[in-house]
Amino acid sequence: MNYQFDKVSVLVVEDNQPMLELMKSILTTFGITEIYSAKNGDEGFKAFCTHKPDLVISDWMMRPVDGISLTRRIRNDPSSPNQFSPVILMSGFTEKRRVMQARDVGVTEFLVKPFNARDLYRRISSIIEKPRQFVRSEDFFGPDRRRKVPDDFSGPHRRIEDKVKENQALIG
Amino acid sequence: MDIYFNQKRRRKAEFIRPPNHLKEKVGSGGLSDDILDKAQRLLEENTQDFEPLAVMYLDTLLQGIDRAKGFVPSEDVEYILSFLIYPTMQLKANGGMFHYQLITKIADRLIQFLEVIEEPDIGAIEIILAFHTTMRAVIQGKIKGEGGEHGQEVLNALESACSRYFRRNRGEN
Repeated sequence: MNYQFDKVSVLVVEDNQPMLELMKSILTTFGITEIYSAKNGDEGFKAFCTHKPDLVISDWMMRPVDGISLTRRIRNDPSSPNQFSPVILMSGFTEKRRVMQARDVGVTEFLVKPFNARDLYRRISSIIEKPRQFVRSEDFFGPDRRRKVPDDFSGPHRRIEDKVKENQALIG
Repeated sequence: MDIYFNQKRRRKAEFIRPPNHLKEKVGSGGLSDDILDKAQRLLEENTQDFEPLAVMYLDTLLQGIDRAKGFVPSEDVEYILSFLIYPTMQLKANGGMFHYQLITKIADRLIQFLEVIEEPDIGAIEIILAFHTTMRAVIQGKIKGEGGEHGQEVLNALESACSRYFRRNRGEN
């Protein structure tokens, strides 16, 4: 029995038309039929408010409003219809500081371009099967940024191997 | 040591576990290999023409280079570099999606270079122009895939140019 994606709605925010078409085709192959699209973060937020999709897949670099700003609005704007909505952010960035930047505005999953069909599926599957709790603090609202809490950690110094694993987990 | 880490937290954080509506809708079972293979074939066999997009991003990169040539130290470096990073990132991200893996690799090296330079000085501009010229040649020559041995040679040459630039800036030979 496969996932029943026919009841799921997805908003794809991408300013590159061929990429948008490609993404829609892949999602259709997955069985998703309700797909909305927008050309930048501003249009994307309007579409998000109108259609209330179950999942948002957005490119990072768009003008005039990028995917980071879109995520920030989804998480923090009082008019956001679902602050908990899963957001997959696509980007060519792989540098740690960029991934951290995405994580710190509340992105749920990070998808590095170019990607293959299984990469995309793994991100969606992770959102379905391993949803993260949300954290609301003075300066952050979004999915818990800790992928894994070390069981026996009681000090500031971690082993180098743990750091490597952490970095790998950040970019999935 | 524990007394320091067991202090009462100063900043409160609320943990919320929202309902998993997606799981409720899709059920279980995942997607079969057949479906994933079909989606992968669709990606590999897509016939979208990347050339017009690539030319547009290369033109935007060239405009960014022209802008960077007029850089003065009182300007915001990150702002000036953003006009170079944006089109380069688009080339990196999308090249490989549309069969131009060599473009992705070259643009990736350029991103790495742009992420670490202190400012767009004359030496840096020359290197960025070399990257631009190379990528334009790849697109004009419709060199798809990774470009084989020649593609690797091109990458090595660009990497060497970057290394020379960093050595020169550190006062080495």
